[in-house]
Amino acid sequence: MKIKEEKKKRQSVRNSKSEEVEEEQHSITEQNKLKLKQKQKQLPSHSDSDSDPDYGSPYVSDSEDFSEDGDFGGSLSESEAGESGSSGDEGVVDSEVDDGLHNDQENQSNSSESHQGVEESDSSEDEVAPRNTVGDVPLVWYKDEEHIGYDLKGKKIKKRTRKDKVESFLESADDAKNWLKVYDEYNDEEVEVTKKELKLINRLLKGKAPHSDFDPYAPYVDWFKWDDAKHPLSNAPEPKRRFIPSKWESKKVVKLVRAIRMGLIKRDKPKEEQQFYHLWGDDSSSTEKANNLSFIPAPKSKLPGHEESYNPSLEYIPTQEEINSYQLMFEEDRPKFIPRRYTSLRSIPAYENAVKDVFERCLDLYLCPRVRKKRINIDPESLKPKLPSRRDLKPYPVTCYLEYKGHTDAVVSISIEASGQWLASGSLDGTVRIWEVETGRCLRVWEFEEAVKFVAWNPLREIPIVAVSVGQEVFILNTGLGDEEEQKKIKELLHFETPVAPDDSGDKVSIASWHQDDKHGGIRLRHFKTVSSVEWHRKGDYFSTVMPAGESRAVLIHQLSKKHTQRIPFKLRGLPVSSVFHPTKKIFFISTKKNVRAYDLQKQKLIKKLETGLREISSISVHPGGDNIIVGSREGKLCWFDMDLSSKPYRILKCHPKDITNVAFHRSYPLFASCSDDCTAYVFHGMVYSDLNQNPLIVPLEILRGHTSSNGRGVMDCKFHPRQPWLFTAGADSVIKLYCH
Amino acid sequence: MDIDGVNEEENSRRVQVRFVTKLKPPLTVPPLPIAIPSNLTRLGLSTLVNNLIQNGNHDWNTQPFDFLIDGELVRMSLDKFLLAKSISAEKILEIEYIKAVAPRKEEEPSLHDDWVSSVDGSDPRFIVTGCYDSLARVWKAAGECTHILEGHSDVIASVGVINRKGVEGITVATASKDRTLRLWKFDIEDSINNPIRIRAFKILRGHTKSVQCVAAQNTGDMVCSGSWDSTIKLWQTNDSQSDGDLVSIKKRKGNDQADESQLEGEAVSTLVGHTQCVSSVVWPQQETIYSASWDHSVRLWDAETGKNSSDIFCTKVLNCLDVGGESSALIAAGGSDPILRIWDPRKPGTSAPVFQFSSHTSWISACKWHEKSWFHLVSSSYDGKVMLWDLRTAWPLAVIESHKDKVLCADWWKGDSVISGGADSKLCISSGISVL
Repeated sequence: MKIKEEKKKRQSVRNSKSEEVEEEQHSITEQNKLKLKQKQKQLPSHSDSDSDPDYGSPYVSDSEDFSEDGDFGGSLSESEAGESGSSGDEGVVDSEVDDGLHNDQENQSNSSESHQGVEESDSSEDEVAPRNTVGDVPLVWYKDEEHIGYDLKGKKIKKRTRKDKVESFLESADDAKNWLKVYDEYNDEEVEVTKKELKLINRLLKGKAPHSDFDPYAPYVDWFKWDDAKHPLSNAPEPKRRFIPSKWESKKVVKLVRAIRMGLIKRDKPKEEQQFYHLWGDDSSSTEKANNLSFIPAPKSKLPGHEESYNPSLEYIPTQEEINSYQLMFEEDRPKFIPRRYTSLRSIPAYENAVKDVFERCLDLYLCPRVRKKRINIDPESLKPKLPSRRDLKPYPVTCYLEYKGHTDAVVSISIEASGQWLASGSLDGTVRIWEVETGRCLRVWEFEEAVKFVAWNPLREIPIVAVSVGQEVFILNTGLGDEEEQKKIKELLHFETPVAPDDSGDKVSIASWHQDDKHGGIRLRHFKTVSSVEWHRKGDYFSTVMPAGESRAVLIHQLSKKHTQRIPFKLRGLPVSSVFHPTKKIFFISTKKNVRAYDLQKQKLIKKLETGLREISSISVHPGGDNIIVGSREGKLCWFDMDLSSKPYRILKCHPKDITNVAFHRSYPLFASCSDDCTAYVFHGMVYSDLNQNPLIVPLEILRGHTSSNGRGVMDCKFHPRQPWLFTAGADSVIKLYCH
Repeated sequence: MDIDGVNEEENSRRVQVRFVTKLKPPLTVPPLPIAIPSNLTRLGLSTLVNNLIQNGNHDWNTQPFDFLIDGELVRMSLDKFLLAKSISAEKILEIEYIKAVAPRKEEEPSLHDDWVSSVDGSDPRFIVTGCYDSLARVWKAAGECTHILEGHSDVIASVGVINRKGVEGITVATASKDRTLRLWKFDIEDSINNPIRIRAFKILRGHTKSVQCVAAQNTGDMVCSGSWDSTIKLWQTNDSQSDGDLVSIKKRKGNDQADESQLEGEAVSTLVGHTQCVSSVVWPQQETIYSASWDHSVRLWDAETGKNSSDIFCTKVLNCLDVGGESSALIAAGGSDPILRIWDPRKPGTSAPVFQFSSHTSWISACKWHEKSWFHLVSSSYDGKVMLWDLRTAWPLAVIESHKDKVLCADWWKGDSVISGGADSKLCISSGISVL
């Protein structure tokens, strides 16, 4: 208390120095000041917490103050108020320099002392000793009351009598210090702001520390013990500024950005549409396929229609005729369900086929492997090569109008004279007949001891002679058809003076010997083996004979004018079947059982070997152009070779079910034919174009029937008429037929 | 009349007709319109007309008639015909009736030793046939052979009677496969029981291949021949020795030991143009020769200049040809198919046949126009049938099936008979055909 009194004294001393006005004010505004002080203290206390650890240093050193503080007790508020009042004074009297310093110091310590005291009790409410004690309740509650609240002793604090407005205005106008007055509603009193408080407010407004005696730049005192600290200095998380971004991540990002820019990555995914399930749709649609699963949905059964109704309309009900016609259908084609009418649902009988249906379903499931069939949905018609219509390829032989009857056994070979007037035929009955093509009249008959194998007209029109192979002999027969001069020539040609010395060299005698044959009127050539075929050269002087059993001397070439025989200078590989002269060039074709070889007769060398791939060649024919060859085989295949194209067949036609016996080209029409033991002859259109780029066109045209089978043989030979599109066929039924267009 | 006894229902299907004819009076009927049932066929119409005639003439023997409506022969029932031709049945229908063309009598066949290859009946007094035994025969009537023409060494392919004016006797030309033609002269009036063998008075050489056909000019001065050497040659037929080659005659005489002298002639001119066998020639007018060939063409030749004036192309081989019909201008030809085609060369710009008859089943070997009629044709075929045709209907009038084998030749004779020869070595005469 003594201290307080001392202070009071000091204050009073100082106060005496200061102006009286302030002195007056002091008492009035004591309460207010306290309040303001409170607020001021709060401000430094806030700054204290984060940046000013050295704030409390004055009071630690000042032990005297400390003890003083402890003595405060209940009258603290009063002393405080007095002090703050003095400090406020001091601020005003700041201009005094000399003794003011000391005072300031003292004052400062005082103030800090007092501050500390306030800070000890945390709540600001405690240090305030307001008159009213109602607390923080809305004052509206006391609006209609006589009192504004209660004081510390519980007595009602009476409301002051209200001045009316005019009165208060006049009062305020008179009073020069009215602007410093503030009405405190809580305590129901007017408070006047002191000078000190004003200063404080001014400092705050300027953004300075509220107390002028506060030193923001006090020397730093390191309170921390740096050694043997157990915990880290700071437990705070790593600050963001310390973060180092990853180089590789940034590279990756760059890459991604680039990819997005280039459109490799699409960020905007199309919105997935809602998938609806098509209840009656086909399951084998795209979704399953996309999964790449070999999922095969079970076939959907047909939905019932009107005809399955128990009482369908009349048009669904088949007539009796239709039902009967179902019986004529195939089992599979028959409709499974035949609609019937019932008057009511009651009258419908049980399904009679129920068990059967289930059984068949089981069979289906059991027997059919559920494998996806690769079915190509192509119209089979479109796969066919586009062939010209047969109608456009007319004329070609179609119907048989003439028959040449007279032979008593199978006709093996036929040949037509170059002008097309005569026909020669050789038969197994040992006869050769000459027929008139036009009428079917048999003109002449030669009889031989053995079966005739082959007949061939001389290709020259002026020399109507026929070469006939019978057994081991080849006869050159004079038909006696030409006029006198021609006959004379033929007689000269066929005349043979000395049958004794047929040839100069000895070994050729054994191959073939020439004899005059008076019985048949011609020349007889005796070979050492059975002759199977005779072919004339186009100039009618040379002809070749083939002896299949003749081995190295199997193919011979004879010259009629010189009565000379020579063997071919080529080595034969395989069993020869037939030989043909090229129609224009000096080329000779020999077909063995497997292959066909073309030899140049002039250079005496092999030109080409045609690989047929056939099992057994039976016949060969050369196109009149000479570049195409057809080969017939015993297995019923017909090969067309384009000599310019390759040594492999250009086309293989498999049409005959049995052996092909002969093939033939037409001399002028684009036709070729094959005849077979199945009693048919096929006629084809075989167009060879002069343009080398265009492949031959082969169109099957007609199947010629009519011959009857005899001893398993059918048609033995076929030849075209040289000038008309007619085909002659010789049958094993000993009839020769002529098919005309 | 049987018309009275028909009921109402059939009445509705009646047509009003009037029968007209160009026939002579005993065959005429009153030209009154009468109603007849429309379902009558040719037979019904024929009996009807016969009844009508019998009404006027009681000793009338029924005979078949053929009926023409608008120039078309009735070959089905009347209502069908009217429907097919869309002729109105409302107005009175004019039906013309003619005598039915059909053979009434089949004469005894005249037997030959070999196939009969050709026949000619252009002279009503006799028939000439060529035969495969290289003889030609002259027949006065069926089975009555008066002359045998011998001399050829090969099959006679064709015979032709030459009408020579102002020359006594008969001249016949024969073409043979021995590449020659021969001309024969004989007198038909000699009636001897045994046939006379005569030899040719003229031999025409020149063809290098078999001669296929021969035809004489209508004046009889020349003949033409077609051959397998694809030429047509024209020859003089006169027997004067002025143009003949005397030297060659002498030579022939020595070689052949002929009893009488034989002339030898050479071709006056050669018509070259065909590329294949000339199978048939016709020389109907003085200056025009028609020829058919295996090269599928019919050609018209100017006999004077030897130029080919026009061609008709067919797609088939042609074997026979004849010219006749309306103003002797229609060309009938048959060949290597069963269709007999008739062209009208006067129609410009088309080579399509105007008529096609296709009742045969095999090659047609011969076709001949009737001399007088515009409409009638005879054709023979390898199917063994001889058919009579009328241009006014597509069906054959009559089918003569007297041959057992191929028929090789056919001709008209005397205007009312059809003669035909075939591979059964027979010459058949079907007579009593009342054309016109």
